[in-house]
Amino acid sequence: MTQKGVTLNTNSHKIKFARSFIRTLLKMRKNAPSSSSIEEIRKRSQRIKIAAYSSIAHAVGSRRAWSRAILFKLRNRARHHGMMRRRSMKKRVVKNDPPGDQSKANKLRQLVPGGKAMDMCSLLEETAHYIRCLSTQVKVMQTIADHFSK
Amino acid sequence: MDGHENEDVGFQHGSEGILNCPSSRMSTNPLPEKVSAMTMSSVSMYKPSNGADPFFGSGWDPLVSLSQSENFGGSSMVSHGEYPPYPVVMENQGISTTSHLVQYPSSSSFVELVPKLPCFGSGSFSEMVNSFGLPDCSQIANSGCPQNYASNKEVATGRTSTNGAHSKDDQQVSGEGAIGSSPNAKRRKRVPDSNNSAFSPNQNGEGDVQKDLSGDSSDGQKEPDEKKPKIEQNTGSNMRGKQTSKQVKDTSSGDAPKDNYIHVRARRGQATNSHSLAERVRREKISERMRLLQELVPGCNKITGKAVMLDEIINYVQSLQQQVEFLSMKLATVNPELNIDIEQILSKDIIHSRGGTGAILGFGPGMSSSHPYPHGIYQGTLPSIPSTTPKYPSLSQNVLDNDFQSLFQMGFDSSSAIDNLGPNAGHLKPEN
Repeated sequence: MTQKGVTLNTNSHKIKFARSFIRTLLKMRKNAPSSSSIEEIRKRSQRIKIAAYSSIAHAVGSRRAWSRAILFKLRNRARHHGMMRRRSMKKRVVKNDPPGDQSKANKLRQLVPGGKAMDMCSLLEETAHYIRCLSTQVKVMQTIADHFSK
Repeated sequence: MDGHENEDVGFQHGSEGILNCPSSRMSTNPLPEKVSAMTMSSVSMYKPSNGADPFFGSGWDPLVSLSQSENFGGSSMVSHGEYPPYPVVMENQGISTTSHLVQYPSSSSFVELVPKLPCFGSGSFSEMVNSFGLPDCSQIANSGCPQNYASNKEVATGRTSTNGAHSKDDQQVSGEGAIGSSPNAKRRKRVPDSNNSAFSPNQNGEGDVQKDLSGDSSDGQKEPDEKKPKIEQNTGSNMRGKQTSKQVKDTSSGDAPKDNYIHVRARRGQATNSHSLAERVRREKISERMRLLQELVPGCNKITGKAVMLDEIINYVQSLQQQVEFLSMKLATVNPELNIDIEQILSKDIIHSRGGTGAILGFGPGMSSSHPYPHGIYQGTLPSIPSTTPKYPSLSQNVLDNDFQSLFQMGFDSSSAIDNLGPNAGHLKPEN
């Protein structure tokens, strides 16, 4: 049975992600001084996390729905970063389902980027691809962390 | 009815369904049949290891569209493992498939006959249900569909309801057969191209599919004879229960989805309402995806059941995301080394870090538990990252970062991440 679209050329994604991520890391290192306050570290880790997701999304490109969702989110974030931030802080209403009602499918939808607009079938497919890319991401990041910590 | 409950039942009782098949031939209990019928599709996705497998494996015709392959799987399950699966439904009582098939017009006429199929359903289903004798098959084969119906009706009136199931199969089979033309192989290839959906009233789909798959083998023709009694008994109860009510309204749906749709054929014993057909396709797709996910998520080989599987998937995705967060925190605390070589080194390492069983594997599995990764990761998200590393139990004596690696080895059962990190770290050391 051909499982079209799920077979992932992990290596190419891996390499692309690694390069992009490392480049971002170096940029960050150059710009920001290494600070040891917890707050600074948290901010930096947040930025690194965003950089990681951005890199993997760029590595995958627009092929998958979840990567498109991440890229879209990033672009909107960048666009509204300056303008909307102050205004929208108050308006931002986070709708959460009452905890008891959350079905598993909804949970999965929340986890996978862009999952809210997908039907179950494509959600599962996207989840499979997303899991592969996430594990790639984790592998690379772990390698980098190992390298840096030696 | 092909409700969701059936699918879940099928999921969990997949093996039961298959096992039930051989034994429950005579059973009038509709449930196992339903389960087995449902499990055909769901279980087939899981590649059961019963005797039907050779068919399943060998018969996985690349020509067949996805939906039909699912039907294949389903039909293959019907073959109780004793016989090489074969079209099934064709037979009625005593008529050999060979005679059926031989008489059928060529596949070209198949296309012509197809449009007439809708009338098959719209006609007198109730009469068809009443059954008609086998001899009609030959008549049907030679005549167009409408004529078939006429002859069927005439014969049908005279029959008892006991034959109903068989006759139904037979009629549909013959209808199929007439359309399906040449025995076995050729038919299936046409069917996907043209109007499978039109065949919704038929459980023949299954039979056809199998016919095709085994078409090239000479066995195909013998098998239906053998299978025939079993199949009929199996689904007889189903058919009576379901078919009469459903099929009357079914028909017209056969027409519409001709063109750009995935053509699905109703399997034997299945309701043939277009809605239930579409639903079955959707369910089979979902089960196929779930199977893929099962392979991706570590430690999920033994899980049968969508709910548990979904839980595992959710946990796994959450754990991966938490790992990313943890790693990003770790990277934030690491002293920056602005070597330009880093990129090349890491790229090289990452390229070279293929699956290889590193030293980590040695204690990777040892650390596994039933729900490994949440525990590992939750520890990872403790505050004050720089000082956390000493807290983690140092599990390894190998070259890797004991604390960090051990954290993730606790996290993974047999994650390939660990595999890759093994040789990767090995590479790192000598180069530094």
